[in-house]
Amino acid sequence: MDWNLLFLSFSAVFISELGDKSQLAAIALGGQSKVPQAVFLGTAAALILTSLLGVLLGEGTAQLLPERLVKGIAAVGFALLAIKLLWPAGD
Amino acid sequence: MSSSESPPEVATPVAEAVTAASFWRVFISTFATIFLAELGDKTQVTTLLISAQAESPWVVFVGAAAALVATSLIGVWLGQWLARRVSPQTLNTMAGTLLLAITLWLLWDIAHL
Repeated sequence: MDWNLLFLSFSAVFISELGDKSQLAAIALGGQSKVPQAVFLGTAAALILTSLLGVLLGEGTAQLLPERLVKGIAAVGFALLAIKLLWPAGD
Repeated sequence: MSSSESPPEVATPVAEAVTAASFWRVFISTFATIFLAELGDKTQVTTLLISAQAESPWVVFVGAAAALVATSLIGVWLGQWLARRVSPQTLNTMAGTLLLAITLWLLWDIAHL
């Protein structure tokens, strides 16, 4: 077990993720949710799966998926979550 | 109009079913949005791995995964810590504005792809 490699990758990713979209989303969603565990597990699972895909597909991920479309859908997703919070339809 | 608080009903099985359903609804919506938002972004983990390709990529992955769990946990803790300090309305407005900011951030990414 190569500990300094483990520590290197932990700190590199930790620092790069601090204040990233996913963490801001975790703060926003985690704060207002009645089931914060679901927010934590959802966020962590999504991040680990995306980095696993990044690992397995390597450089391929960039060419493979239409990034504009994927990020566009994500933007719509976040907008819906925001609207639900800012203008609750009394649900 | 001030409606008197209804007596706190005991956690009936129905309530448990509701929390289980809302757990999955929140889990899936969080997972889906963050998965899509982060899908293109995992370049730095990939580059990290390419540099470590010869030795042990899985050690790098475990370190990265642990870091991602840590940042998510800190994020949710911070959110919960805030939730105890501000009124629900303010929290919702803050959370909504933060999510709108993320939306704009994503649109900025798209514009610069």
